[in-house]
Amino acid sequence: MSKILVVDDESSIRLLYSEELADEGFEVVTAGTAAEAAERVAQEEFDLMILDIKLKNESGLDLLQKIIRERQNLPVILCSAFSCYKDDFSAWLADSYVVKSSNLQELKDEIRKVLAKKAQRQNLH
Amino acid sequence: MELECCWKTEIIESAQCPNIMDDERELRFSLKRRLLEKCLECPRFGNDLEILARTEPSLSMVLRNLAAEYLDQKEQIHYMAGFLNSRNRELQFLHEIGIVLQTSMELDEVLSVAMTAITAGKGFGLNRAFLLLIDDEKRTLNGYLGVGPKTYQEAWQTWEEIGRDDFSLREMAKIFHDTKLSFEKAKFQDLLEQLTVPLDDQSHILNRALLNGKPMLVENAFNNPGVDPVLARILGVDTFLILPLISRKRRIGMIIADNFITGKQITGDDMESMEIFVFPAALAIERASLHERLQEEVEKLSKANSKLKEQQELIVKMEKMALVGKITSSIAHSIRNPLMIIGGFARSLQRKLDENDPKREYAESILYEARKLEDALTEVLGYADSLHPAMDVWDINELVENASREMRDEMAKQGVVCSLDLGINLPMVFIDYKQVAFCMRKIIGNAIEAMPEGGMIGISTRADDHDCLVLEIRDTSTTITASLQDYLSAPSFTTREQISALSVSLCKMILEKNCLSFHVERSTEGGTRYTIRLPLKKEETFHE
Repeated sequence: MSKILVVDDESSIRLLYSEELADEGFEVVTAGTAAEAAERVAQEEFDLMILDIKLKNESGLDLLQKIIRERQNLPVILCSAFSCYKDDFSAWLADSYVVKSSNLQELKDEIRKVLAKKAQRQNLH
Repeated sequence: MELECCWKTEIIESAQCPNIMDDERELRFSLKRRLLEKCLECPRFGNDLEILARTEPSLSMVLRNLAAEYLDQKEQIHYMAGFLNSRNRELQFLHEIGIVLQTSMELDEVLSVAMTAITAGKGFGLNRAFLLLIDDEKRTLNGYLGVGPKTYQEAWQTWEEIGRDDFSLREMAKIFHDTKLSFEKAKFQDLLEQLTVPLDDQSHILNRALLNGKPMLVENAFNNPGVDPVLARILGVDTFLILPLISRKRRIGMIIADNFITGKQITGDDMESMEIFVFPAALAIERASLHERLQEEVEKLSKANSKLKEQQELIVKMEKMALVGKITSSIAHSIRNPLMIIGGFARSLQRKLDENDPKREYAESILYEARKLEDALTEVLGYADSLHPAMDVWDINELVENASREMRDEMAKQGVVCSLDLGINLPMVFIDYKQVAFCMRKIIGNAIEAMPEGGMIGISTRADDHDCLVLEIRDTSTTITASLQDYLSAPSFTTREQISALSVSLCKMILEKNCLSFHVERSTEGGTRYTIRLPLKKEETFHE
């Protein structure tokens, strides 16, 4: 079972993701701040991180850079209400970018794609 | 001693002197005047001196000598008076020209005066005159204007007209400027085109005259080794005058004048008079051409200034629009999160509730409305994005491929098949990618909406003859969407529509702001064709 860390400052969104992704067979852990997320990543192994860009008083893109430096093998999907960050080159470091929507199908599809890629990479090694 | 003449009689009768005319009756009463004005030249007085010589030879000789000397002096005074009169007339003429030349700033007006002065009978009276001006950039002396008759018939006709109307030189110059100048320019065009001499050809007689800076009378041109035979052939005369136009040591050009029709000899006096005239003429021509250039520069600056103003206004407008875009975007984003939560949980509920559970219907309604709001939000955000202009060079085929890929799911859902016919090796276009892509998605969306039973969308790109590419989107719709209906019935975009409809009209507005023409055609057999023309080069301004 793949373990996913959801990072979003909205508790309702964390709850929604938890329920929806659990239904898809994923193990979901959530974090409301960048610091909490960093702590979780330091303590546990995750297969994937879903990261919001606009966190309360924090930038998800800063956390993304930290993760890439410290945990190169952890794929990250940026999930934001803003589509404009697609053009921001620091967002290109993420494995995928999804604009938030009540229909989580696109996000679910991206999760599967990213995990499949990760598996492929691991098989090669 | 019997004398024949009346020179000793104080008062005489008319019959006594045959030299006194009717209007000189007063001479009959003045012996002194009569003696000087009439008697000294009278043959009878000469006879009297012969008679006197018999008795008073020395007195007669003195009188004879005095009379001869007086008549000689009288003749000289008469000649001098004539000379002074002619000089006076010449000065008056030069003064008149000088005033016109000094007061006029228009090049053609100055040239009209100068050329009329040379060719008019009241001026220097030469038959023809050609003005050659120096082109500093090309380093050539070029024929600019020719004045005068081309044939004998034309000459007599012109001189007859001038003889009929007693115009002053100034009036003649004005008539010439107003009615004949452009005709004269065209009349001698062939000849003027041949009168081009490179300034570097120092041996050419025209350049020599120019370097010398003094008028030059060229005679025996056809056999003169110092004269270019081509020049003599072009002018068709054996004698002509070259008048260099030099203003403050700067060479302006020259006037070539001749008596092509009458063949009258050009004298040194003619050349001398013209030398005085040429200097103010050169100064006036230089001043007028500088003025003309200045006017052109002022005009250019004024155009640049108004363009700058337009650009400033546009920038202010764009900044306002960008601000509107930012505000819209900010509001829309703060709505997206709660909407996602509402819709997401509604979807979750709907999925988990039993099919017969009445609450399922509530969840479906919430989900349906949330989805509608999300669609509207996406549209508003798309519009807000389009308000931030970012012009750059783009590959139109890449844009078409990306935009159609983004609409793929929507097309598949509606049973619409999309085919691309993209031109090969198309040049890049200068556009705002986001805005054009937004419009393309809107148009495809409209086409899908117009084909509820499915259909075809064909998208093609091709190069056009007029420095632009053509992007065409065709559908096989049999119905017209409300948005297209709005556009077709009232293609102009109003504020009310701007608020209420993000539609085909909006696309037109966005595209036209990007200097792209947008055209919609509805075929009678069904199907709609949307045509967008995209410029290859960077446009300097945006259309309002």
